[in-house]
Formats: sequence, structure tokens, C-alpha cells
Amino acid sequence: MGSTGSISGLTTAREAGLIACQRCGQVHRLDQPVCKRCGGVLVSRDVQSLQKVWAWLIAGIIAYFPANIYPMLLTSTLVERTESTIIGGVVELFEHGSWGIALIVFVASVVIPVGKFIAIMHLAISVQKGAKDQQHGRHKTYEIVEFIGRWSMIDVFVVAILSALVQLDTIATINPGIAAISFALSVIFTMLAAQSFDSRLIWDADRTPS
Amino acid sequence: MTDKTSSGPAPMDVRPVKPKLWQRLSLVWFVPLIALGISLWAAWQNYSDRGTLIEISFEDASGITAGETMIKFRDVDIGQVESVKFADGLGDVLVYARVDNNVAPYLDDDAQFWVVEPDVSVRGISGLQTVLSGVYIGGSWDTDADVQQYKFIGSEEPILTTANQRGTRIVLRASSGSALLAGAPVLHKGIQVGYLEEPQLSLDATEVVVNAFIEAPYDRRLTTNTRFWDTSGFSVSFGANGFLLDFNSIASLIEGGIAFDSLVSGGDPVEDGAVYDVFYDEDTARSSVFEDPVGAVVEVAVLFDQAVTGLTVGSAVRFQGIRIGQVSALNAVVVGEGADAQVVLQTVLALEPTRFGMDEDATPDEVLTLLSDFVSRGLRARLVTGNILAGTLVVELVELEDALPAILNRTSGPYPVIPTTESVISDVAATAEGVLARINALPIEELMDSTIDLMTSLESLASDQATRNIPTSVMTLVDEARNLVASEDLQAIPGDLRTAINDLNSILAEASEAELVTKLTDIIDKADAATENISLATENLPAITTEIEALAAKANGLAVESLVEEATETLATIDTLLGSDETADLPRALTGSLDELRAFLAEVREGGAIENVNAALESANEAAAAIEEAVAGLPELSNRASSLVAQTEAVLESYGDRSRFSAETISTLRDIQAAADAIANLARTIQRNPNSLLTGR
Repeated sequence: MGSTGSISGLTTAREAGLIACQRCGQVHRLDQPVCKRCGGVLVSRDVQSLQKVWAWLIAGIIAYFPANIYPMLLTSTLVERTESTIIGGVVELFEHGSWGIALIVFVASVVIPVGKFIAIMHLAISVQKGAKDQQHGRHKTYEIVEFIGRWSMIDVFVVAILSALVQLDTIATINPGIAAISFALSVIFTMLAAQSFDSRLIWDADRTPS
Repeated sequence: MTDKTSSGPAPMDVRPVKPKLWQRLSLVWFVPLIALGISLWAAWQNYSDRGTLIEISFEDASGITAGETMIKFRDVDIGQVESVKFADGLGDVLVYARVDNNVAPYLDDDAQFWVVEPDVSVRGISGLQTVLSGVYIGGSWDTDADVQQYKFIGSEEPILTTANQRGTRIVLRASSGSALLAGAPVLHKGIQVGYLEEPQLSLDATEVVVNAFIEAPYDRRLTTNTRFWDTSGFSVSFGANGFLLDFNSIASLIEGGIAFDSLVSGGDPVEDGAVYDVFYDEDTARSSVFEDPVGAVVEVAVLFDQAVTGLTVGSAVRFQGIRIGQVSALNAVVVGEGADAQVVLQTVLALEPTRFGMDEDATPDEVLTLLSDFVSRGLRARLVTGNILAGTLVVELVELEDALPAILNRTSGPYPVIPTTESVISDVAATAEGVLARINALPIEELMDSTIDLMTSLESLASDQATRNIPTSVMTLVDEARNLVASEDLQAIPGDLRTAINDLNSILAEASEAELVTKLTDIIDKADAATENISLATENLPAITTEIEALAAKANGLAVESLVEEATETLATIDTLLGSDETADLPRALTGSLDELRAFLAEVREGGAIENVNAALESANEAAAAIEEAVAGLPELSNRASSLVAQTEAVLESYGDRSRFSAETISTLRDIQAAADAIANLARTIQRNPNSLLTGR
């Protein structure tokens, strides 16, 4: 009961009859509908949170498939015209010996998004099942997912910058492929999924809901 | 809010009614739905748009890369190569490609594919863009959608004529393909209006067949009267116009080329697949206009056992002077085996049956049957001289009455063999040389020299003062004689006078004895004979009068003019001499002379000396002798004139007629004849009436 006891030792704001503004952190009474300071809507628990998480997550996963199937970069030079997908680019970089860059791209484009999918799914499922263990760990996971999610956009930015800069007409041009848009959408969807997750739900598991 | 601290009845476990599922659903669910919808739609779109898979087999992949190489139709991308594989047994490379669905229905059995690579040729550089971008597969098909096909055999060479190029495709037949390369230009008045495709041997390997494509609208220039000829290479001619180098275009110089022109109007338009012969050069093509070039041809062979130098492909084949075909090939073949083996020259004749009266649709068998009938009746082939100057030969088919029996050999070799007979080849070089040598050998210069000498001596004789003085002295003598006769004493010496007259008579008799008349008659006869010879020569004139004319012109340029002039002049002088008043006055002068004689006699009578009379008679005798001498000179003149005529005749025999020289010579002869006539008349008069010399009448 050690861990449970320690959790039970925590008093949630809801139990204390308080509600914190999600935006500015101002604490109100539970019956207060709107934040006095910033005017934000005060909700003690977002009952649709998990729905949103799942919806955004599924949208993100759907967008992630074309992002990997279709080419990310369309490179046309005088000599040839190449299309590189994410994985193809990683493999190419690896073959050329640029291990570091290959690793960065691989992590940013594959490991992080996939890890996010898994992490968010894990969080959502654990909340739904009412899991009572590792609440701290899961909270930390959530924090990490939310923090790191934006860095997945590094790929999209690289593509955007290259496309904008390398437009040397016939000599060399780089254009974003469909995958760039898909990947950006996928990242955005997963970020929204992470944001939609109401982390307070983690702590409600060992309590009788409402 | 539940108040846990309040007392009272146990709190009711009041739970809000669970909202229905759809009420609890968040709007956010639309996002994955839309994403899913878009994805599915994109996937379906992708699947339906991915194009039709076709298979093209090539001998080698030559730069085709899976996933990169495009298929282009009219330079528009219509597909992309998906994969490149080997066919079973590694015999071919199979290229699988997806082509646009809207194009796929047009890929029927006329679709052709080839690999476009950079090509540098004389005509220019093509496919340069593929140097950087890599090869692509070009496609060509027409705009009619027939039965769609999925498997194609790629062409190794670029297709020159795409299916929808407008124009006319024709077939050219040539005896040699050396001048023909795929892509070589077809020129019309020096402009490229088409090109040749890949030349191929005909099935029997006897000729080269090449398809050519004439682009619209120039294909309207093609008629049944159009002739094609080879313009490849260049021609160098060296002739009267100097050195002439001629070629059509640089491209045709290197790659060969074909030119065409409709040489006569009125032909019918042709359609695709029309067959034309390619002539060796433009002249041949032009000369063939009036023959039927596309008539069916039956090929037979002739084995000549002698050299056929001068016989070329295209040489005429004649039958009774009419061209009925041409030589289509010259080969050496071995006949017989072992020790009997010998190499004979096989001349292949392409006979056009329509040219010897057969129907256009007569089968080769019918033609050969007819030919073998002819052969059994004595038809033989032989070589005859075509052009006497160029030394070319033609093949002549002749019917010999006394030919040894022979048959048309239809079983040996690819062609039926027509038996041969002895050829009639005149060695034109020898003949011409002989003619020239004979002309060279003519002693024209010496002849003219001697003629001029003769004329000069004639002239000097005629203009010699002594000759001219003859009449005068005769006249004086006659005067004296007249005086003598008129004297009264003359009666006394009639006997003497009679003696003198007798003497004169004897002089005249001598003159006639000198056969003056006979000789003159001879001259006339010879002149006649000369005229006859000339007319004979006219009849027997050889056909090469033109050359002779040129020669005569050269002869004309020699001193003949002056010779003739001088001859004319001399004859005129003779005429003048003969027709001069002095000559005409000769009788009168004789009378005067007699008068003088008379006076002299009177003087004698006055002197009364018989010796004087005798002396006078002696001097009369001398005078008569002088006349005799003068008259004796006339035959000599006649002789020389006669020899002149004879020599002139010889000249004329060598020269023939039709030249101005001949005409003038004939007129000269006529003049001479007239002069001779005049002399003959004079002589005849003197002969008939010798007394007139005395009486002056």
C-alpha cells in the first residue's frame, strides 16, 4: 500500500473544492465558471478529454502513413530528379556515412513520432482502465511528450527552408513532397492529442470519479 | 456538490443520466474521420490513376532505369518505367511501364516504342536533352483506338516516321544499298521532303528495298510519272564546260540520298506503298521517263563468255532496235565442275513484258514460255555496240535463221538462261583512228602546192608576151601574104602558092594529128567520170558524215579557198586568153598576115627574085611552125588540166560531198569543162574548116 498510500496522501484540488485555471494557474472555487483573472473557462475535469486524445491520435497516425510512403523531398538537378522518403533519406545518409545526421533525422522523424503515439496511447488506455500505479511516472511521461512533440517539426522546417532557398531554376530545385504536409499534419495532430490529454485524470484513478 | 458532512438519510447515489453515446462524442472526431476520408480517397485516386501496365521488350535496356525513365508521346510524359526484368531465358529485357489511362486505349498494334538516345549524325544532333536527363522511351501510334494491347516489342532504332506524321510512304527498289542509309534525305528540287528508312534486302536478295517517307504536302508531287534517282556522292565531269564538281547536299554526300522529280506531267497520284525504282543518276532517270519503270519485270540471265567491258547495270536490252528492258546485274559465276569449271559472266536482264507486247498482268511463266518459244525459233542474245564513241555495249536479242538449236534453260540457277551468239562489237577506237590516219595521209598540202604551181605556170604561159605576140606576128604574116596574093604577080606563081597552101594544110593536119580533139574529149570523159565518182561517193557515204563534215570544215580552213580562187582565176585567165579579142582576131590577123604576105609577095614580085619568094615561103613555113608550136602547147595545157581534174577528183573521192569545198570543186570542174569545151569547139572549128584560118572566117 506504500505507493497507494503516498498517492492517497495527495489531496487533489477537486477534493479540496478548488479549481485551477488551466491557463494562468489562478485558483478558484469549484463553482466558479470563469477565471476571474484571465477569463478562461474553468473546468475541473475535461470529460471529453480522452475522446479528443483518441481522435487526434488516430488522425495523427493516419497522417503518418502517407508521410512515410510518399516522398518528402523532390530534388531536381540538371542530371537527375530524385524523390526521397523519410526512411529512404535516412538510409541514404547512413550509407553516405553521415551517421550523426542520419541519427538526428531518424530520431526526429521516426522515433519521436512513433514514441509519442505509443506514449499517448499508453496514457489514454491507462486512464481509461483506471490504472493506479506509476502515476508519477505517467505524469512525467506526459510532460516529456508534450515538451518534445514540437521538435518533430524540425523535419518540416528543414524541408520548408530548403524549398525556399534552393530554387536555382534548372540547376537545382528542391520542392516539398506530399509527405512533408502529411508529416506536419501528423505532428500537429499528435501535439493536439497530447494537449487534449487532461493530465489530472491520471490522479483520479484511485478515487471514485465525481 | 455532494455534502459529505451533512447528516440525515443516507445520501442518494444520484448519478446523472449518462448522455447517449453520440451526445458524448466530441466534435474532434471529425478530424480523424476527415483524415481517414482524405487518405482513403487519395489511396483510391492513386490506385485508379496509376495507369495501365504495359510490357515492352528490348534487346537491351540501354539506359532505361526503373522508376525514372519516362515514356513520351509527342514529347509529353505519358508514363514511367516501373521495373526492368529479364524475359525467360534472358533473351530479352522486359520493361514494365505504366502509361496514362487516357492514352492506353490508343496503344494498339501500330504502337511502336524505341529508346531515345543522343544521336549525332550528319543531319544534326538529336536527343541532346537525354545527355543530362537520361534516355527516355519514345512512343508512336496513331489516333485511332483499336484493340488495346499490353505487350509490345520495342524497336532498337529510332522510328523515323511516327504514325501520325502526314505524308506518303513509298517503297523504293534499288540495285545497291550502298547509297542508302536510314535517315538519308529524299530531296525534291534540292529541298529535303522526306527520308529513307532502314534499307532491306528483298526476299530473293536480288535488290534492295527501302521504305521512304515523303512528308505532306510534298507527297502530292508524287505521281506515276515520278522518277527517283541516286544523288549520293558527287560527280566530277571534265568536258567542254571545264571542270565540274556536283553534289546535292553535304548530308547526301556522306549519307547518300535520293532525289525525285516528276519529269513529265499528267501522272496519276499515288497512294501509300507505291513502288519506285531508283535510277543510277538523274540522266538515266530522265531518259527512262518514256519507258514504263514500274511494269512487271521478268529477269533472265545471259552467260557471255567474253569480256563485257562497256556493259553496265542499266544498259539497254534491245529487241529489233526497241528497248525492252535493261541489264539489272552483272555477276561472274562458275559453270561446270572440276576441270570443266570456267568462270562466265552472268548478265541478268530485266525484261519488261509490256514492252514486247504482253499484257500487263501476264505472269512470269507466260512470259518465259513465250521467250522459250522464241529461243527455239532462234532467239539469241548478243552484245552489240551501243554508243560508238563511248564504247558502251547493249544486249541485243536477235532472231537468227541459222542458229544452232538451243533451249531456254530454266533449270540452272536462279534465272532462266538465254543462249548467246557471236557478238557484234565494232572497235570504235580502231575505226576512228583508221579514218583519221587516212585523212592524215592525204597529200593535201603537196596537192595544193602542185596545183598552185600548175596554175601559176598556166597563168605565166598565158600572160607571156611571146604567147600574146603570136596573133600579132601571125597577123603580120597574113597581111604580107594577103599583099602577096593581091599582087598581080601572084597569078604567076599559083603553083608555089598551092605548095604554100599545101604546107599550111599539112600544118593543120599535124595539129589535128596532135590528137587535140581526142585529148579534149578525154578530159571531158574524165570530168564526167569524176562527176560519176562524186555521185557514187555520195551514195556510199558512211553514216559518220558529221565527223567528216567537221573534218571537211577543217579542210575548208586550209588553203583550199585560195586554191579554188586561184584555180578560178587561172581558168578565168585562160578564158580571157581564149576569149580575148586578139585570139578572136586571130583569123582576122591571119588575113592581115596574108595581106602582109601579099605585100611581101608584091615586094618579091617587084624584086623579081624567086629566091626571095622561096625565102618568104620559108618564113611562112616558120610562121606555120610557130603556130604549130603554139597549137602543140594546147594539148599540153589540156593534159595538165586533165591531170588537175584527175587530182581534184582524187581529192573529191577522199572528201565526199556535202561540203562547200566539194561544191566549189564541182563548179570549178564545170568551169574547166566549159573551158575545155571552148577549146574543143575551137579545135573542132579549125578541124572542120581549116581554110578559115586562111580565109579569116
